Amino acid sequence: MRQEDKERIKIEVTHRVLEHFGSDPIAIEQAVFDTIYEERRRLDTEKNKKLAKAQAEFYDRVYREARRAAPDRQRELLREMVRAFAEEVTGNFDPRVYSIATGVLPSALGVLLNALSPLRLLEAAKHGSFSLDEHLQVGGEVEAVQKAAQIGTTVVVPTHLSNFDSIIIGLALYRMGLPPYTYGAGLNLFTNKLMSFFMHNVGAYKVDRRKKAAVYKDVLKTYAGCSIEMGYNNLFFPGGTRSRSGAVEKKLKLGLMGMGLDAYIHNLSTGKPKPDVFVVPATINYQLVLEAQTLIEDHLKEVGKSRYIIEDDEFSQVRKIVDFVQKLLSLESTIHIIVGKPLDVFGNEVDANGVSHDHRGRPVDRKRYVFQDGKPVHDKQRDQEYTRELSRSVVDAYVRETVLSSTHLLTHVVFGMLRERSPDHDLYRLLRTGGRDESLAVTEVYERVDRELATLRRLANEGKVRLDESLSHRDTVAIVNEALAHLASYHRKPAVVRRGDRLFHEDRNLLLYYQNRLDKLGLPGIERVS
Amino acid sequence: MSRDLDVLVVGGGSFGTALANILTGLGRRVRLWVRREELAVEINSRHTNSRYLEGLNLSPSLVATTNLEEGVRGSPAILVVVPSKAFRDTAKELGEYVTGDQIVVHATKGMENGTFMRMSEILREETCAIQIGVLSGPNLARELVAGQPAGALIASRFDAVVDAMQSLFKGGMLRTYGGRDVVGTEVGGTFKNIIALAAGVADGLGLGDNTKALLVTRGLSEMARLGVVMGADVFTFGGLAGIGDLMATCGSPLSRNHQVGERIGKGETLDAIIASMTHVAEGVPTTKAVYEFLRSQNSELPIVSAVYKLLYEKLSARQAFDQLMTIPVGGELATLRFE
Repeated sequence: MRQEDKERIKIEVTHRVLEHFGSDPIAIEQAVFDTIYEERRRLDTEKNKKLAKAQAEFYDRVYREARRAAPDRQRELLREMVRAFAEEVTGNFDPRVYSIATGVLPSALGVLLNALSPLRLLEAAKHGSFSLDEHLQVGGEVEAVQKAAQIGTTVVVPTHLSNFDSIIIGLALYRMGLPPYTYGAGLNLFTNKLMSFFMHNVGAYKVDRRKKAAVYKDVLKTYAGCSIEMGYNNLFFPGGTRSRSGAVEKKLKLGLMGMGLDAYIHNLSTGKPKPDVFVVPATINYQLVLEAQTLIEDHLKEVGKSRYIIEDDEFSQVRKIVDFVQKLLSLESTIHIIVGKPLDVFGNEVDANGVSHDHRGRPVDRKRYVFQDGKPVHDKQRDQEYTRELSRSVVDAYVRETVLSSTHLLTHVVFGMLRERSPDHDLYRLLRTGGRDESLAVTEVYERVDRELATLRRLANEGKVRLDESLSHRDTVAIVNEALAHLASYHRKPAVVRRGDRLFHEDRNLLLYYQNRLDKLGLPGIERVS
Repeated sequence: MSRDLDVLVVGGGSFGTALANILTGLGRRVRLWVRREELAVEINSRHTNSRYLEGLNLSPSLVATTNLEEGVRGSPAILVVVPSKAFRDTAKELGEYVTGDQIVVHATKGMENGTFMRMSEILREETCAIQIGVLSGPNLARELVAGQPAGALIASRFDAVVDAMQSLFKGGMLRTYGGRDVVGTEVGGTFKNIIALAAGVADGLGLGDNTKALLVTRGLSEMARLGVVMGADVFTFGGLAGIGDLMATCGSPLSRNHQVGERIGKGETLDAIIASMTHVAEGVPTTKAVYEFLRSQNSELPIVSAVYKLLYEKLSARQAFDQLMTIPVGGELATLRFE
């Protein structure tokens, strides 16, 4: 972000967040004390003692003053705290404090990137060519997105499966020839040198997920909105977190999703020459997911509550990552990044000239959605519903732009057969025990893969979903072999493994995880098995 | 663009005419769009709609038009009241002129055959409108035209839609309550026609009030069951668009669906009844749509199945009732208690 914009955005964000409270003394007082409370709680567990002490002193002072302050003064104290948050998010705070703060969390991603560095990513980037070429495939409506970025400001909203995503999407956008993107990244992403390259390219701003104060979240959201208004292309994961189940996101964070609309209305009111904001759904697709094991266990804990028995699972994170990357490379596994058709902030598709279209392809004058009595207006309730509409369109696009691969198909077939054979087992019992049969005849599996493959290919032809190279062109035997090779290569226990002419299911959680990607898309003609 | 009207009512059937008539009586600037030129002429010159509201006088200020484009362009709000069978085509035509600032509300009770789509979904698909709502309730058209007190529910995810409709109907004899549950409101309006058919059959067979109360209550339970599966709020069915509409339709000889049921109960065939009616009895196609939807979900609701077999599989009224009575009974609220 340009230096003069940094200053502007800090002022604007502070102003707007304060404006949300208006002059309501009760709301302001509540915000002041809530923020102090949440921040003090966070500081209790802050590992960086020096930083904690400095901040604790700040909040102690605010607290002492706020207790006896008149409403006007309380508003000023709130402004002080908001301003501090805004400073931090914008990334223009004391570098000494910053370096201490970021030294705190040895993140999984930091380790990951260290492991990745032998990939010569940085080296390759310098020379303008990527050795990852055969592993990274970018597709979809690339030209339309490029065009949209010229006509207006774009907000890219990808699906989220893995910590790899931040790097992958940064790389993909760069390769698509798109301008830099602003991205809310966890503080921990700024530690690693290699990461800095990508984060820099992506134009990241800093998000501290340990800060729970509502005011802080408001600052983040407002920051995103203001930066869109100022013409900075934005990127965020609208699911809010990595998908735990392995399924494609169906519910999106509406607060952040709505910032595009908010910015659009602001732009219209102020008569910006390029007021338009376009939302670009994107999918990031892997054959194997590094964190599959942890994510699905987390998911089952949350969904299954007490019915699910957690088994102990301990091994080295570092080894896991190095292993994973090596396997991915040796298997010549491809990561697909697909960008969908740009949408307007109401969820209508936008053509190459920036014109919105309704479901029947007729042009739509999108300004009118926000006009009342001849001028653009904000209307909180209405805008929320518009954003819901946009989210629906994004979720629909996720389904169409999902790239399925052999691992998803084979696990779906195997899991479906397991369920059929043990109709009296509920999901959790099946996951624990595996049901009646510990193995399946490979010929039966082939038959079923054949059938599902035919359906998937028809659906892909109709544009309802995407298939990778293997699923599009190879035969069933080759597809099953590819899936088995992948599943056996990296995870501690393979989800399914072949011995002789039978397939043994070894890790049902992983089976569930990978098959969820396909199963939960809800494609017509594909039987739901979970 | 100048919008010199307050509302355009689309559809010159009995309900559309009745709503337009009420709004005109309240001093709103209303156009009633009708497809047939003769009907427009009749409404404008003789102030009657003899085909659908025989023997009733309409407000002399009510203006009908056949020009859809002009009507749509001139109104900030559009109220669509056409039979479910004609709904998509009408929506498609509307889609040519509607703009994003307009609100579009429908008062059609039925689902689309084949797709089982709700009318609000069709509006969303066929037009660029997003601010969409539904009006439903116990609103027998003849009573509305006669100026009798009545109530309706206007449901929309947009407060602005509810507010706009409420202020249009403000001060009149049709009290419009607001709600958010579009799905429930649409399911209620659709489903009650099936139960009205069944209640009519009971009357035709000469059965008494106990039987009818049983039918209506169990019908309400089936309605709620379907509704909740489709994402409705169960409480909606305790309101005007649920039990309210059921009471009016099942009790009143004015209801078309009730009339069809009654004649079936007396032994007439469906083909003969349909041939003799000028009005559309929504319950007939609705029964088929709901029955087929349930089958596609591997599910079944007893009264729906009975009415379906009565209409489409030549089961006699007596047999249909006998079948209903032999279904094993369970807990009364069991159908509603599911995860």
